[in-house]
Amino acid sequence: MAQTSQSELSIGFYTVEQSDTLGWTGGYLVLNHGGRPLEFHCTLPVRPTRAHEILYGSTLRAHLIGERIGGILIKQARVQPLLICSDQPEALRLADHLDTPVALVGDPAGRLETHVPTIAAEHPKHALRIEARFATRVRQSLEQMADLPDFDEPFTRIREAIREAQQGATARAA
Amino acid sequence: MDFLRTATHFTRRPKPIAATDGDSVPGVQVAERAASEPSLAGEASPPLEIVAGPSWFAGEDRALRVDVETLEVALPEFRAIPVRLRDIPVKTTGFQFPESPAWGLRKKKDDNERSDGEHARTGEATAECDPARAAEQAAARQAVRKKLTRLRPPRDIVKLQDRLYYLLQPPLEQLVGSGELTFPFEPFPYQFDGIAFLFPRYAAVLADEMGLGKTMQAISTMRMLLFSGEVSSILLVCPKPLVTNWQRELRVWAPEVPVAIIEGDANRREWLWRNPAAPVKIANYELLMRDRELILEGGLHFDLVALDEAQRIKNRNSTTSEIARAIPRTRSWALTGTPVENSPEDLVGIFEFLSPGYLTPDMNLRTIAQAAGDYILRRTKDMVLDDMPPKMYRDADLDLTPEQWATYEKAEKEGVVDLQEMEQELTIQHVFELVLRLKQICNFDPVTGASSKLERLVADMEEIAASGHKAIVFSQWVNSIDQMRPALERFNPVEYHGRIPHKKRDGVIDRFKNDPECSMILMSYGAGSVGLNLQFCQYVFLFDRWWNPAIEDQAINRAHRIGAAGPVTVTRMLAMNTIEQRIADVLDMKRQMFDAIFSDADGPKAAGGLTREEIFSLFNLKTRSGKKIG
Repeated sequence: MAQTSQSELSIGFYTVEQSDTLGWTGGYLVLNHGGRPLEFHCTLPVRPTRAHEILYGSTLRAHLIGERIGGILIKQARVQPLLICSDQPEALRLADHLDTPVALVGDPAGRLETHVPTIAAEHPKHALRIEARFATRVRQSLEQMADLPDFDEPFTRIREAIREAQQGATARAA
Repeated sequence: MDFLRTATHFTRRPKPIAATDGDSVPGVQVAERAASEPSLAGEASPPLEIVAGPSWFAGEDRALRVDVETLEVALPEFRAIPVRLRDIPVKTTGFQFPESPAWGLRKKKDDNERSDGEHARTGEATAECDPARAAEQAAARQAVRKKLTRLRPPRDIVKLQDRLYYLLQPPLEQLVGSGELTFPFEPFPYQFDGIAFLFPRYAAVLADEMGLGKTMQAISTMRMLLFSGEVSSILLVCPKPLVTNWQRELRVWAPEVPVAIIEGDANRREWLWRNPAAPVKIANYELLMRDRELILEGGLHFDLVALDEAQRIKNRNSTTSEIARAIPRTRSWALTGTPVENSPEDLVGIFEFLSPGYLTPDMNLRTIAQAAGDYILRRTKDMVLDDMPPKMYRDADLDLTPEQWATYEKAEKEGVVDLQEMEQELTIQHVFELVLRLKQICNFDPVTGASSKLERLVADMEEIAASGHKAIVFSQWVNSIDQMRPALERFNPVEYHGRIPHKKRDGVIDRFKNDPECSMILMSYGAGSVGLNLQFCQYVFLFDRWWNPAIEDQAINRAHRIGAAGPVTVTRMLAMNTIEQRIADVLDMKRQMFDAIFSDADGPKAAGGLTREEIFSLFNLKTRSGKKIG
């Protein structure tokens, strides 16, 4: 049984949930090559003020997902993954401030608008879009993470974990 | 800043008139423009005096006079206020989870997978996917994305980090599919649910109906717990006849896990108990009593203790229950298809092992059902196996032969008289003896050997053997099996009951399974009702009825279980208008009690046997004075 290094073979998944009542809640999950959790970080619900809403206008979502929430969450993690995946195109912006490639999961045709041109990282199992500058690194990462069967599924885990954390907070407050 | 405005007042407004010839009127235009243009302060603006021209004021002598004066208007002062927009505050919370090195097991990549890896590519050449191919791949991914089974933290785990640890684990199907753990067969979805139920629980009852694979679910969960590093020592306790069955199933479902069977003399047993090289140890219930001192005071500790056929500890005062409850352990699981046999107290007894004091005998059914709900998982075949072959009951309601009937009537009449004459000396044992005597007559007339049940069995077996099928016959008595054997010789029966030594039993099963000439196996309920996989049989005969329908269900499910070749026909033989029919009526009512606790379980129910009062009530016993006995 060979022990594998966490930092060498891990992958991050990042998403943000928005709710009218709670606000924006980010979740960041780092998995090992077998899909087992190494770290999970989430935010308390983030509530922009009216001033933020007015002044950021239509760019508020991109700011929250692609800069503010993602930037803080990913810095909290101890393990630096090979690749960070998100199911939200705004998260691609995170790559501007990180050393790690960021990939958009689940948009093989590239219909969603992104702030930078992306290419498809074709893979038999996974549909990812990435910036062209990351092509080589992402290809190598996908080969190393070949045992991970599904890149969509971890987002379900994040959402359930966020709900669990929020329910726990509600129960403690009650 | 104040602005001065010049207001213009006309002392008389001109009357508009239409130009008669379409020409403009220059004098009036000047006057109007002058009146509408205010002057700024500082510019001396003397009152305008406009003299009407020859056109529309022509008829009047008075001159048009405009008075202009300056007013001061105060306007608010404009100021620039800088707004400092702070960063949107974000508070985070984080958890780290241990990565067990055991999960680092990597599967040996086969050619297909290597091929997949080689196909993986990223870059400009594939920058834009072929839409048709992308759709094809998406469809393939969707097809693969079937139901996923997730671990759910039980209610009694309260720490958020612990709850998230389970929630964030990958779906069980991924573990199977990714090759981290290989399975000989892909488990059914409900079996994944069972594993997901057991995995996070420190106290659990897996109460699936017999034949749904409790053994496989328990073994697979133990295996995952071992591999995840959550447990390292497991004790499995089962009835002695089932030890080899567990050993066999462990070889199938957890081939890489070392197993030790606790057996042999005292020295060897102590060595086996303490053997750290075998994380899974199997002991039978009888051994618990023999090695009591070592288990309880020898410094042993198990991360998990699982009791198979856990109804064995339903009686809280039994020695078996006391020892099982005292085994030093962290997790406690109970596996049983019949968590409630006679009364809700059976479940209370099992919970004394799982979580002492959590259930108490004074709780009503509803309270017990609510409290125990999160700890119990029970499914029936009807609930989970859509493609399971049907199980068809055929009640053979038989009239006794004349010889049997004569003997039966005489025995019952004399027996009841004897019981009534005993009056206060009458005990449950006396009644029980009469019941047994009458039931045996329902099987065979003790004088002539006549048997309407045997006649029927032989007739049915002719057809079954001719069609190449096999049958299991269950009886409560080995003596009845002895009596039926001569008439069944041509079907080459084998026997599996208490008189067959344990060492020979596996051979009996092998012959029944593999010898095409061997069409039937004669079994006693005691020896053959649990743990055997005889799913190649399509016919089951209950030659007589057991006291407890749960035991009957267990017996039937030797054949009607996963992998059953086809529909299973169960023939329940019942002598009409006899004690057998009265017992059957009482047992039917008991199933209702089972429903009250496991109300969401549809389909066949398991329930308990007869109580003392119910046995007394089988005969309408009265004293000479007419007072009811019992």
